[in-house]
Amino acid sequence: MSLLAPVGLVALLAVPAILLLYFLKVRRPEVRVSTLMFWRPFVADRQANAPWQRLRASLLLALQLLAALALALALVRPGVSGAIGIGGTTVVMLDASASMQATDIGPSRFEAAVARARDKAHQLGPGQEMAVILIGQHAELLSPPSSDPAVLDSALNRARPTGSEVDLGEAFSLANAVVAGRPGASIVLLGDGHARAPASPPRVGARFFYEPVGATGENAGIETITRTAPGTVFVRLANYGRGDRDLKLEMLADGRLADVLPVHVAGNSTSDVTWTGMAPGTQVVEALITPGDALAIDNAAFLVTGSPPARKVLLVTEENGFLQRALKLRPGIDLTIQKKADYKPGTNYDLYVFDGWVPAGKLPDPALVVAPLDGNGPIPLGNQLNPGLVLPVDPSDPITQDVVLKDVHVLTAARATVPSGWRTAIAAVDDPLLLIHEGEPRIAELTFDVHHSDLPLRAAFPILVQNLLAYLLPGGFENQVYPTGRVVTLATEPTARSLEVQTPSGKVVKLAPPFPAAPFTDTQTPGVYTVRQQLSSGVRSSQFVVQFEDPDLSRVGVGSAPFVELTASANAAPPRGTLELWPWLAALAVALLATEWFVFHRGP
Amino acid sequence: MLSPAELSLLSRLDLAYRRPVSGLYAGERRSPRAARSPEFADFRPYVAGDDFRQIDWRAYARLERLMLRLYVAEEESSLNLVLDASASMTVGSPPKWPAARRLASALAFLGLSSMDRVAVGVLGNRQLRTPHLRGNTALARIWTFLEDVEPRGVAEPSMLTDLDWPRPGMTVVISDFFTETSWAPAVAGLRRRRQEPLLWQLLAPDEENPSLAGDWKLIEAESEQERELTITPALVGEYLANLAAHRAGIRRAAEGAGGRMLASLSSQPLEEQMLTGMTAGVIRR
Repeated sequence: MSLLAPVGLVALLAVPAILLLYFLKVRRPEVRVSTLMFWRPFVADRQANAPWQRLRASLLLALQLLAALALALALVRPGVSGAIGIGGTTVVMLDASASMQATDIGPSRFEAAVARARDKAHQLGPGQEMAVILIGQHAELLSPPSSDPAVLDSALNRARPTGSEVDLGEAFSLANAVVAGRPGASIVLLGDGHARAPASPPRVGARFFYEPVGATGENAGIETITRTAPGTVFVRLANYGRGDRDLKLEMLADGRLADVLPVHVAGNSTSDVTWTGMAPGTQVVEALITPGDALAIDNAAFLVTGSPPARKVLLVTEENGFLQRALKLRPGIDLTIQKKADYKPGTNYDLYVFDGWVPAGKLPDPALVVAPLDGNGPIPLGNQLNPGLVLPVDPSDPITQDVVLKDVHVLTAARATVPSGWRTAIAAVDDPLLLIHEGEPRIAELTFDVHHSDLPLRAAFPILVQNLLAYLLPGGFENQVYPTGRVVTLATEPTARSLEVQTPSGKVVKLAPPFPAAPFTDTQTPGVYTVRQQLSSGVRSSQFVVQFEDPDLSRVGVGSAPFVELTASANAAPPRGTLELWPWLAALAVALLATEWFVFHRGP
Repeated sequence: MLSPAELSLLSRLDLAYRRPVSGLYAGERRSPRAARSPEFADFRPYVAGDDFRQIDWRAYARLERLMLRLYVAEEESSLNLVLDASASMTVGSPPKWPAARRLASALAFLGLSSMDRVAVGVLGNRQLRTPHLRGNTALARIWTFLEDVEPRGVAEPSMLTDLDWPRPGMTVVISDFFTETSWAPAVAGLRRRRQEPLLWQLLAPDEENPSLAGDWKLIEAESEQERELTITPALVGEYLANLAAHRAGIRRAAEGAGGRMLASLSSQPLEEQMLTGMTAGVIRR
């Protein structure tokens, strides 16, 4: 037992003060009455009726003294030293991966996890606190450690599940930061085991508990949808559960039901369906399986059959087959190839690609500039050097999404300094390799000749070029398919005055003005997104599709606890904490005062 | 003491005696004796010695039996008004003594209007009483008597028997009846003296419903005895229960002696006091 605020002992003076008041005679007002015979003699014993009389036993006095004593003891904050369980911080990590939208436990796994977290918040004892981390595409600290259930409730109200995979490693890093310096803390993961674990077990600086949420693994979904021939759509249905399923596949063309196909899918297997009823001119095909099941997000798939609008692209190069082929991969590209001697300024193109050279004067835009060694590029380039190891890219950057540079090497690159208004998308240890001008005009510049690298030989190259086209080309997003959770860059037409996106649920998100338009991030729901641009010539309406395509998340069976490596602080003996007793003492004082009030007013 | 409006009200009222009374002179009260008067009472068979003049010959013609007509004798009655003039009657807001004096004056007016002989006495430090008065000057003499009385001292039930009431009639006692001693023997003594007792308890509003709360020093008006109290709702509840029990004892004493008991407040105007009497059947139109 220890006293955390000994100065509170001063409050014990209340005890002699109360006794003193009892010794002092009360001055009573006088009143004449006809008779005393109806008044039973009764004097409350809370004060003396004669000065300095002998202290008599009194219930009211006893209650007052006890209340004062309890209050004084509460003020000195006595504490009992103890082991684990007394005090401590709990970090609750909520798995917000798409599989948590499963409704095998009502109303959904995610809601059930939030309810559990809410219960924990309301069961916090004195000295205990709780923090909440939402494991979304990025870990987010919804609430720092708090002992206030209202604060935690408010934080939990903001929690929403995502439509994609989530990163567990980032969440553990954040949780470790929260529990640092808080001995006796614990980390609780509420999830279904589908959060993506890091390659190596994360180090955890506190005791770790995994509370699985979920009941079943039965689920079916659409794994693939693609067009195999004009008017023909191939759909692969997967049954991730054990039992066979008889399903119906509804095919919708541009939002209208076109066909219903019965499909039998055995447990843990797939069934392929080829639909040949697609009418000519159909822009979007939607495949939907019924009846619904635990996870609804994978029951629908979309196929954009309409071609992107034709875009004129000028490639000025002496010879670059890699670049030429990568540009032609995108449907709707009308590629014009010129040598630099043939280039004439003033010709209108939707995109200019200058390989190893840029014209003098103002650079036309949008433009992709590849290693302009003559020094006329938008970014001054210096001497050639070996840039060193190519660094991993940011997977959330739209330019480098799905671009894996693990086996890519660059022999030489021009030294470059990143000017203001530009950012580095790809970098090596000693030199930036790809720089992007932020905002308008849209310009990207590679600091190395692709022939001096093995990048064109990797799968990453065409993906990188497609990402660059999506960013640089006006309307590069049109009729494209993006995975759920992907950030979509919406390059507007040069004359666009406003830009808005309507989600499948009907919500309209205004992105511009101001220009350049902010990236569109609300892509957690699969479906067709409509983009409207107000041009000087009228409204241009286009669309893109967001698709859920993650079989790992469709396997909704509850996974096991992630492997973690407990640090020494987590494995250490539980620290001794101090259980403060003042809340109970304060409550006792209030109860005693209430009793005293009741006894006084009720009378003897 | 009484306003013209109150006198006008009282002129339409009368005291209601429960039993016929027998007086010396003719009056307006029904007498237990039969006599010649305009008001027919009954028939009875003729017996030897009866006055021939009272034989109803028309009844003889129909019945061939001699029948005597009997008439109600209307005689005066005596109304005795006794006021508690102890110190406790000065207590209350408004005090009880002025209200008791006005009530006694009103009852005296009712009695005198009905040709009754009215006497007024007081219980207290001095046991005074007027002779039985009748006639035009009686009311003025009663008012003068009451205005000269100053309430003080103690009033005990035994004092009631000390007052001499030679004539039968009604005795009205106006008091708060706040005595430790029982009123039953004194009221029974009135019955033995052929008095119809009427106990009229007059209390102040704060005696009927005490509004005190907290710490007080209570001083009893008659004994000057002091008592320090912490008045709680529970204690007030006990007070009300004790008052009700005491009032029930007074009512039993009155009814045991063939009389009646009623209660009013010193704050009530005379009209309401009379209404209380009418409700209890003590006063009639």
